[in-house]
Amino acid sequence: MSYVLFTATGCTRCKIVKNFMTDHGIAFEEKNMKAEGKDDFKKFYSANRCFITRGQDGVEFPVLTDGEEIRQGIGASIAYLSAGKRLDGFFCVGTLHKEWVDGIHPCSGNLEHADEFLQVMRYLKKSSMKLQVETSGRNSHVLKQILEEGLADKVVMNVVGPTALYSKILRKPVVESDILKSIPLVAQFPSYQFQTTVAPIIRQEGDVPEISYLTPAEIGEIAKLIEEGTGNKKNPYLIRLFKSSESKDERLKSIEPLSSLFPYRTAARAYQVLTELEKVI
Amino acid sequence: MSYPSVYPTGVTVYNPEKCWSGFTIFPARELGALLIDMNGAEVNLWKGLHGFPNKLLPGGYVLGHTGERSNAFGMQDQIDLIQVDWDGNVVWKFNQYEYIEDPGEEPQWMARQHHDYQRAGNPVGYYVPGMEPQVDKGNTLILCHKNVKNPKIADKVLLDDVIVEVTWEGEIIWEWACNEHFDEYGFSEEAKNILFRDPNWRASGGGMGDWMHINSMSVLGPNRWYDAGDERFHPDNIIWDARESNIIAIIEKKTGKLVWKVGPEYNTSPELKELGWIIGQHHAHMIPRGLPGEGNILVFDNGGWAGYGAPNPGAPTGAKNALRDYSRILEFDPVTLKIVWQYTPAEAGFTMPVDASRFYSPFISSAQRLPNGNTLITEGSGGRIIEVTQDHELVWEYISPYWGDKLKLNMIYRAYRVPYEWAPQAERPQEVAIKPVDVTTFRVPGASNLRKKETVVDGVWSFQGDGALCVAADEELDQ
Repeated sequence: MSYVLFTATGCTRCKIVKNFMTDHGIAFEEKNMKAEGKDDFKKFYSANRCFITRGQDGVEFPVLTDGEEIRQGIGASIAYLSAGKRLDGFFCVGTLHKEWVDGIHPCSGNLEHADEFLQVMRYLKKSSMKLQVETSGRNSHVLKQILEEGLADKVVMNVVGPTALYSKILRKPVVESDILKSIPLVAQFPSYQFQTTVAPIIRQEGDVPEISYLTPAEIGEIAKLIEEGTGNKKNPYLIRLFKSSESKDERLKSIEPLSSLFPYRTAARAYQVLTELEKVI
Repeated sequence: MSYPSVYPTGVTVYNPEKCWSGFTIFPARELGALLIDMNGAEVNLWKGLHGFPNKLLPGGYVLGHTGERSNAFGMQDQIDLIQVDWDGNVVWKFNQYEYIEDPGEEPQWMARQHHDYQRAGNPVGYYVPGMEPQVDKGNTLILCHKNVKNPKIADKVLLDDVIVEVTWEGEIIWEWACNEHFDEYGFSEEAKNILFRDPNWRASGGGMGDWMHINSMSVLGPNRWYDAGDERFHPDNIIWDARESNIIAIIEKKTGKLVWKVGPEYNTSPELKELGWIIGQHHAHMIPRGLPGEGNILVFDNGGWAGYGAPNPGAPTGAKNALRDYSRILEFDPVTLKIVWQYTPAEAGFTMPVDASRFYSPFISSAQRLPNGNTLITEGSGGRIIEVTQDHELVWEYISPYWGDKLKLNMIYRAYRVPYEWAPQAERPQEVAIKPVDVTTFRVPGASNLRKKETVVDGVWSFQGDGALCVAADEELDQ
C-alpha cells in the first residue's frame, strides 16, 4: 500500500501526521499543495470533490489517501494509519485551527475498538495538541476514560433531546442511563458546554410522518436534566438553530424554520440560568 | 458659571395662561418618585421607589425600580422594572434578564435595566393625545446591560447596551445588542484606536468599558416620513442615542440593522456642520404624531465632554474629545438635518459665549414636547425643570429641593408632564400664577437694598453695550 499525503506549507497538523508515519515506518509521498504538489492536488480534488470537505475557511489539511480511501484532517488520518477503517466514525473533519483539534466523537464509531480510539487521542495529546471532544452522551464509559486520562481540553455535549426521545432522534438504540451518566462527566472537564439544536423530530413514522420541532417544554426538560446531573444551575448551555440544508433526512429539509428561539431560552433558564442562543451571522 | 449659594427652590415661575398644565413626575434624589402639581405641591411621593426614569401611566400607576445593583459589581444596573399603583402595590414586574451572583449578596434574577423603557401603546413614554400606554397588558421594551467581549472593539470587558422586548407575562421575545453592529456606526480609524485603548473604562465590577452608554430608546411610531415611503422610518423602528459616542441612530426592528444616524462626527457633510456637534446627548426621540413638530427629532444636546477621536488639549488621549460648556435643545428634521426649533443659552437670554454655561447640564436631562407646542425641559444636573413656549418664553420653573446625602447633587434624571386625568385619585389642583420675582430687588431676610448716597461725577461718558469683552461675543464671531 502506498500513501500520498497532501500537505500545506507551515501546517503543524501535517507535520504531526508525517512524524507519525515516519515513526511507524510507513512509506509515503508528500505533495505540498502550496508548492510542487499544487497541480496534483487540484486534479485530486476535482476527481474526489464529494469525499473532501471544504469548510468556511477552506480545505483542512492534511489529506491522506492510499489510492482506495481518503481521510482528511489530523485525527482521521492518524486513526486510519493506526487501525484502518476500524476507527471510522470516531474522527471527522474539524473546524478549529492552530493547536485545537475537534471532530472527535467518542459516541460514534465501533465500541469494540474504543482502546484503539483512545490510543490515537493519546498520540494527539502527546503532540501538544488541544483536543475538543463532541458527544451526544452515548458511550459514557469511553468519556470517563478520556476524563481520567486528561485527554480532552474541552467537551461539547449535544443533548439532542429529553432522554426518552434520544433513540428517535439519533435513529439508533440508546440506553437512557448511558446519557445520564455522561452529563456529570462532561461538567468535570476543564472547559465544557452543553448544547441542543432545536431540530424537527419525526415523532411518528408513516406515509405521512408526524414531524414537529422540539418544544420549549422539552428544552426545559433537558435543562432540568443537566441541573440534576451536575447539581448546578450555572452550566454553559447553548440553544442552536436548526439548519435544514445540513439535514441528512430529506424530509426535514423542507420544514419551515422557527420564527424565534426566545421561548426556548426562557424555558431553559428556569433550570440553567446561563442559557444563551446561538448567534447566527 | 457662578451659582448663588442661596436660591429659592420649588416652583419659582408659573404662568397658567401659557403653560400646558398638569402633574409632573420625576425621581427626587435619594427620596423616591415624586408627583407635583404646577405650584409644586407634592401630590404623591412613592417613597424609596427608584427611577431611571419614573414614568406615570394612566390610572395613577408609576413605573420605576425596587433598587440598584451594588456599584461594586455593576454600573447603573436596576434590579427590575416594576409598575406600582397609586397606593404602592406592585402590579407588574420584570427582572428575568440575567441571574446575578455577586459576592456577599443574595443571588437573584435582575433586569439590569438602565436609562429607559417603553410600554406598548405609546412610542415615547410621554403624553401624546390618542396614544395611551397600556397599563394592564402589552409588551415593554427595556434598555438593559450585558457584559460582553468583542475584540473588534477592545480587548477588555465591555458594558454593552441591549434592548429587549418582554411580554406582559415576562417572556423575552426580541433582543438587540449594540456591540454586534459595531461596523455600522462609522467610527474613524482615530476613534477606533482610542476606543480600543480606552472604551470609557469604569471601575465598577472590577472594571468594564461603558463604550457607548445608550441613554434613551423609543419607538418611532406612525410618522409622515414612512407614510411618504421612506422605509428607514418604519413605525416599529427604534431610535436610540449613545452619549459616549455622540451617536443618534435608528435601527430596523425587523433586522436590527442601522438605517439612519447622525454622529459620531459632525463635520463630514455641510448638513452636519450646520447642525453642529451634538455632544453627550440625552433623550433623543422622534416627536410622535399628534404633537406639534411631529416627525422631527427632539434631543437634549448636553455639551460637556464625549466622543472618540484625535487628541486635543482638552482630551489628551482622544477620549471624550468633543467639548462644550453649554447645552442645547434641538428639534431637527431627520431628512434635511435642518434645525426647526432650538432652545440654547441664546434663546434663554444669556450672552453667548461668555454666559452660555448658565444653561448647561453636562449629563442626564431631557426634553418633552407638550400638546400646546411648549417644551418641558429637564436641565438635570441642577435639578431644574422648565417649560418654555415656542417663542422661548419661560412660563414655568421648578428647582428640586432634594439633595442627596450620598451624592451631593439635587439632580433630576428626567421629568415628565402628564395630564391631570392620568392621576384620577388626586384632586384637581388650584392653579395659582407665580410671577417671577425681580431678582435685582429680591433680598433674603437681613440683607439690605438701601442706597445711602448717590453722587454725580462730572465729565463721565455713558456706558457702552457688550461689544468688546475680553473674549468675542457670538455676533462678532458670526461676522
